[in-house]
Amino acid sequence: MMENKELEEIRHMLREQGYITEPSIVMSVFLAKALKKPLLIEGPAGVGKTEIAKVMSRALDTDLIRLQCYEGLDATHAIYEWNYQQQLLHLKLEEQSDKSLEEREQNIFSERFLLKRPLLQAITHHRAPVLLIDEIDRADEEFESFLLEILSDWQVSIPEIGTIKATHIPQVIVTSNRVRELSEALRRRCLYLYVSYPEFEKELQIVRGKVPGIDQKLGEQICRFMQEVRQMRLEKIPGVAETLDWAMALSALHIDHLDKEIVESTLGIVLKDWQDIRQASLSLTELLEKVGAISKFENL
Amino acid sequence: MDRPLIKRQTTLTANVVAFCRFLRQKGYTVGPREEADALQALLAIAPFHSPEAMQLCLRAALARTYAQLHTFDELYTQYWRELDKAVDSKLKDGAPEPGQKQKPKRGAQEPSLMNIKNWLQGNTQQEEAEMAAYSAQEALSHKDFSVLAEAEMEEMRQLIARIARALARRESRRRKASPKPLQLDLRRTLRTNMRRGGELLELRYYKPARHKKQIVLLCDVSKSMDLYSRFLIQFMYGLQSAYQHIETFVFSTQLYRATAALRQRDFGQALSELSGRVPGWSGGTRIGESFHAFSNEHANRLLNKQTVVIIMSDGWDTGDTALLGESMKRIHQRAGKVIWLNPLAGSQAYEPETQGMQAAMPYIDVFAPGHNAESLKALQRQLR
Repeated sequence: MMENKELEEIRHMLREQGYITEPSIVMSVFLAKALKKPLLIEGPAGVGKTEIAKVMSRALDTDLIRLQCYEGLDATHAIYEWNYQQQLLHLKLEEQSDKSLEEREQNIFSERFLLKRPLLQAITHHRAPVLLIDEIDRADEEFESFLLEILSDWQVSIPEIGTIKATHIPQVIVTSNRVRELSEALRRRCLYLYVSYPEFEKELQIVRGKVPGIDQKLGEQICRFMQEVRQMRLEKIPGVAETLDWAMALSALHIDHLDKEIVESTLGIVLKDWQDIRQASLSLTELLEKVGAISKFENL
Repeated sequence: MDRPLIKRQTTLTANVVAFCRFLRQKGYTVGPREEADALQALLAIAPFHSPEAMQLCLRAALARTYAQLHTFDELYTQYWRELDKAVDSKLKDGAPEPGQKQKPKRGAQEPSLMNIKNWLQGNTQQEEAEMAAYSAQEALSHKDFSVLAEAEMEEMRQLIARIARALARRESRRRKASPKPLQLDLRRTLRTNMRRGGELLELRYYKPARHKKQIVLLCDVSKSMDLYSRFLIQFMYGLQSAYQHIETFVFSTQLYRATAALRQRDFGQALSELSGRVPGWSGGTRIGESFHAFSNEHANRLLNKQTVVIIMSDGWDTGDTALLGESMKRIHQRAGKVIWLNPLAGSQAYEPETQGMQAAMPYIDVFAPGHNAESLKALQRQLR
């Protein structure tokens, strides 16, 4: 039981946006907003970490600005870059004018020729957006410390122009798949939330919410199957996204229960690694028995 | 009588701060900033009447890692239970006499809850003393690494510095200006030519950045490796401090990423941090499971054709050997080079006969002894 009105509101909004919520998620999202702190969300791939940011931006009725991290991500892709082509063109056009050199230089190094990348976009947006920094663990450590600087000062300095201060402080959401330990400094700056694979009941709710027409029994079997598959030693453990894809596919085929043949022919939707598929196929009977889709005595 | 209730309400702020300190003792990084976060968080969710909301709120505000998230609830219960007792007994006995000293519990393995009461009474000095005693105790109860001979250390340091230099030479070419027309550096081209009124006469180029060589070190710290462990640790620490692009993992029954612990500037500190944190140090060996964990969680980011994987292990495996072979195959497929240093291989009569070694053998590029400083010199050549 929670009595805080705003907290209830957030829960309501999250639910309304089709997000099945646990109390811990609601609390973290609420506190991130209330304390104006970045929220660091960790968890395995495919559990809907990114989704939280999307839902949050819809719930707050503001824009979502996304920075996808990757190895080698640097300032020119994360903050700003000059639009060289336009600068050159502009210089050519101005050739005949009698402007002085200084004037021309000032002209081409103005905001007009500045390409704003996500971080700069976020702090100069006309209203506080949700800034999603996705998979920060993919970027290298230098970028992390660089990000820290922006998260604490909320300003960017560009040598040619000067310092650009944030017009609004964005609501920051950082996600990580835990590929790499994040620095202590970054952790301390953020609130922390861990999202794991959903329990059976929760996953079933999600499936029913997103695939409304699904057969009741099929939905249960799919979710139970996913719970079992995640216990196996796999290269890539399937997330909720895979569950939904599978549920949609089977539902579209008007299938109302799982059997060996159906699973075998559609396993590629759930598992994305050749060895995983082979491994699951080998123990398919056992898996389906656990799920309750076939009984032990059926094949005798 | 509603005196206890009033008491508890008015001291909520003090209690939350004391709770933060309790967490700090339990290894949480909780400073004044986090204390403020916790209080603001409670303020934000007010009015709340359920204890669960408060617990949820404090957890969301204070837990900052996965591990903390899991221990939080237990610590929370522990703290408030103890506090309740303290408040109750206080009411019974009346206020404690000023200046009364409480003896710290002897031989207590955990930071004693006495501390909380001391905090509540403002006795911080004793807290600090007790905390220091606690950490000293802990270091001793774990494996003793403090017997490293200074001379050995020095030799090791020099050798590692040489290895690091050899590596550094290979990565010295970063993105930099190039006289050859490779790729146009527009930013610098524009800047240079502005002086001539914007006519592009002089073009500037840069070379693409070269990938730096990444080293991944996987060290076996199980029981059978005990003899070599001090050598290993020196090696890991030295290489880590001399070379930036290195990730160090240790394993026995499970994998642990040691890079952060080894980055401590002080060697002693790094040691105690490692010995305190690594699960199953000097335990059994499950190489297969550990490598599988590595290839699952870290391979994507760490392994590419520029990566050199160095494994230090004797190959004694009590786990799943088939899994070891499988994981080695994956690592080998992705890495540039796999080097296995086996301390047993130093002896002339050694044959890699253990099952684990047999399973791994096909996926090793260089198999070499790794039992002393001499063998490291050979390694230096391999890294080129």
